[in-house]
Amino acid sequence: MDYLLHIAISTLIYAIFAMSLNLELGYAGLYNFGHIAFFGIGAYTSALMAVGGLPIPLGITSAMALAGLIGAGLAFTVLRLTGDYFGIATLAFGEMMRLLFLNERWLTKGPMGIPGIPRPTLLGGMPADLLQYLMFTVACTILVFLILHRLETSPFGRALKVVREDEFVAQAFGKNLLSLKMRCIVVGSVIAGLAGALWAHYMTYISPNDFTLQGTIIVLLCVVLGGKGSPSGPLLGTCVVVLLQESLRFLPIPTDFGRHVAPLQGMVFGLMLVLLMLRRPQGLIAELHGGRGA
Amino acid sequence: MYYLQLVINGIIAGSMYALFAVGLTMVYGVFRFINFAHGELIALGAYSALFFTSPPLSLPLIWATAPAVACTVCVGLLQDRLVFQPLCHGTRMTLLIASIGLSYLLRNAIQFGFGSDLLSYNVDLAAGYEWGPIIVTRMQLSMLITAVVFLTFLYWLFTRTMLGKALRAVADNMELAGIMGIPLGRVNRTVWILAATFAAVGGILLAMDTSLEPMMGVINLLKAFAAVLLGGPGNVWGALIGGIAIGVAENLSVAVLSPGYKDFIAFAVILVMLLFRPGGIFSFQKGMR
Amino acid sequence: MMGSLKKLLGLAIVLAALPVWAQDAVEVGSITPLSGKLAVYGEGFQRAMNLALEEVNAAGGIQGKPLKIIFEDNGSTSQGSVSAIQKLITVHKVPIIFGPAASSNFLAICPIAQQNKVVLIGAESAAADISQCGSYVFRVFPSDILQGRGGAELAKELGYRKVVLTYINNDWGVGLAEAFKDSFTESGGEIIDEFPHEEGKSDYRSEILRIKQSNAPAVVNLTYIKEGAAMLKQAFEMKVKTQWIMGSASKSPKLVEIAGEAAEGIIGTYPTFSQDTPQYQHFKTAWEKAYPESKIGVFAEYNYDMVNLTAKALNLAVESTPEALREALMEAGKGYQGVTGDKTFDENGDVGAVYGKWTVTDGKIVDYRK
Repeated sequence: MDYLLHIAISTLIYAIFAMSLNLELGYAGLYNFGHIAFFGIGAYTSALMAVGGLPIPLGITSAMALAGLIGAGLAFTVLRLTGDYFGIATLAFGEMMRLLFLNERWLTKGPMGIPGIPRPTLLGGMPADLLQYLMFTVACTILVFLILHRLETSPFGRALKVVREDEFVAQAFGKNLLSLKMRCIVVGSVIAGLAGALWAHYMTYISPNDFTLQGTIIVLLCVVLGGKGSPSGPLLGTCVVVLLQESLRFLPIPTDFGRHVAPLQGMVFGLMLVLLMLRRPQGLIAELHGGRGA
Repeated sequence: MYYLQLVINGIIAGSMYALFAVGLTMVYGVFRFINFAHGELIALGAYSALFFTSPPLSLPLIWATAPAVACTVCVGLLQDRLVFQPLCHGTRMTLLIASIGLSYLLRNAIQFGFGSDLLSYNVDLAAGYEWGPIIVTRMQLSMLITAVVFLTFLYWLFTRTMLGKALRAVADNMELAGIMGIPLGRVNRTVWILAATFAAVGGILLAMDTSLEPMMGVINLLKAFAAVLLGGPGNVWGALIGGIAIGVAENLSVAVLSPGYKDFIAFAVILVMLLFRPGGIFSFQKGMR
Repeated sequence: MMGSLKKLLGLAIVLAALPVWAQDAVEVGSITPLSGKLAVYGEGFQRAMNLALEEVNAAGGIQGKPLKIIFEDNGSTSQGSVSAIQKLITVHKVPIIFGPAASSNFLAICPIAQQNKVVLIGAESAAADISQCGSYVFRVFPSDILQGRGGAELAKELGYRKVVLTYINNDWGVGLAEAFKDSFTESGGEIIDEFPHEEGKSDYRSEILRIKQSNAPAVVNLTYIKEGAAMLKQAFEMKVKTQWIMGSASKSPKLVEIAGEAAEGIIGTYPTFSQDTPQYQHFKTAWEKAYPESKIGVFAEYNYDMVNLTAKALNLAVESTPEALREALMEAGKGYQGVTGDKTFDENGDVGAVYGKWTVTDGKIVDYRK
């Protein structure tokens, strides 16, 4: 039972993270390959504050605020770049953040990681058990989903999609491109920060190993697989990816073959990305309205 | 002298980055996308050489190089044929994501086949050559010579042959080049063959210098990216200078910073270059040179 | 192929037979890396544990009931370890869990075990931080603090008062480096330069140059196999004449194979135990009988001791409350002479250790003797 709860919680946290990437990638066409950095910033901020004895809600709020702030900083500096240049710049940013986590030992304890991150406590003063934490995560997911859904249909969301399809048209309509994209990245970073904080308090242990390029690739797969540009796409994508990962646990794998499982899984994920691009670049759930260029 | 030695180490490390960056930048020049799977061509070159040197074939390393390069070229061409060609009319992002997927697929395939353990060719050790206080090891010298030979060949190809001219024309404007009757298919294949060869040779040298592991390509690919951006995408000579600049910068950083931040330098270069000189240091030039 | 098929068949038979007496078995859990990058070792751990298990059950089990180990894979990740421990605690409700290899994975699940009052025992994790995990966390493997102290003593014994310290930038390297530094400076040694090096690089020449620049007579290099081999090779080529002092993680024939001549003369420390004891002889014969086709795995002896000690504790325990089990384990460890020596737990649940010295002579790893 708790095992299922565990899967549900990790899926939802990843789904929130995927939705935040989808806002940037799916709505605005901003290919942020360093998005995992904001997940990490959120996780470290909230974890460090909680371990330092500050209340957890304050930690989570600060995590979101700091992620948003750094997101704004990043957006301010790299937004003039377009397309794959933007991708590479954010990739560099993501790796730089990981190196900071790894090397600034006075703050992050470096590769040792931070153990013993507390779970949120309930009114009675008991740390939340898995079911309660799941409820909390579900609430967060629904909230994020509703906000993003609302955004999609708002003038802001529509403007973003116009930007994605054709920047010149957007400009011709008098949209301020920079401000639009900037707001998009800030919101995306705040949500990623929330996901990171949830992750830290759930896992109770984080280390720089949790925030590598690999994480970006997995979440990218979640978004692209589910279908970018709709809030339910990443949700579905994440479910499929986690299900694939966990189902391997139940296959009768002989012990001699054990060390081949991880690369095999990696091959399947890689192949899925390639095949998706070849056969169904719009993902499982295609965007309903608005034609796509590809 | 200490700093001079650091600079020399940097130049040699940088010439390796340049070997990788040249392929990356050529592909970018012609197809307009950044090929993440280029790193796996590096690893593939090294691993296939290992395959040919170990039983049952047990070729000496020098003879194993040719079939290893051939294997890598085949994979490079297959990449093009099966994935990138069918996608060439899609968006650049579709290509980019496909290449990320391909990179992940190939890296895990290597790990599946060879395991994640580190392996080596068992090359004999030799003390370095000394010129006063400066020491250059035999491996370093071979790397430098190989890089110089290959890049000179490329220079000759680009400036003195019809194929090279066609290549540059395609990089400038593919449609126009097609109209002018340049055989696009042949040019495309040449680009992949060159990129894969450079990657494979660099990978084998790298593995001779240290050891093999599935991640070896990715680690160097990020440096190659930085070199490409520094030199200006699509600019072959820029890639050479960019590679050397990054090699020197990160090696010099060891003297002042914690070596834990060695990689940080390359990423910082990427960010700064993109922000201030997105066309590279030689941004006045255009197209592939 | 036939072998693994037979094993599989055996497993199937065991599995089929399980329900018959499973209700009556005493269950403990084990989080083992059966997939992922540590899977190469995980199999060996599992064999050693199963070997001890068979002996325990042949000798009457736990108060008349058979002992059973439930193995959970952690995919060699901290996330997988959390999944696994949650499954073990809530689905199987085991009172004792054998923790995973790799300190970061172990540290990830420590708070969960402590919170749920489940006894957690490690047989491979060395990080110093594990000592502070809490009263329910034990290990039969010596802490890094001891190896750090051992390394400092070795350096002094060899007559080096000034050294350069470099370490691999991961949980193991950083932890061990801290322990070494404390111990070495406390006893009057001086560290002229100290820096981490990145994991998984191929070019360490500039780092080595920094070592060369400092003219240190000895370098303490706490690193892994690949990094160690690359550094030794490149230092040899650059004619760096210094005494290399290494840690336990580089003690591998693989390092010697890759570094070749450059590895000659390096000296290192490693936790050791006497192979002349009757316990070791018994273990060795039993292993060879049970697994004739495979060599004794890395840390197999520690895993073997862990299971035997747990069985002893379970037999001693008057009731099965977490507190009673914890006390029983403390009691069982007192003066216990296992294959790997004395397993008396201190107040942090740590054991002591004897440190051996290894060196490379003629391409072979041998014990260092003056």
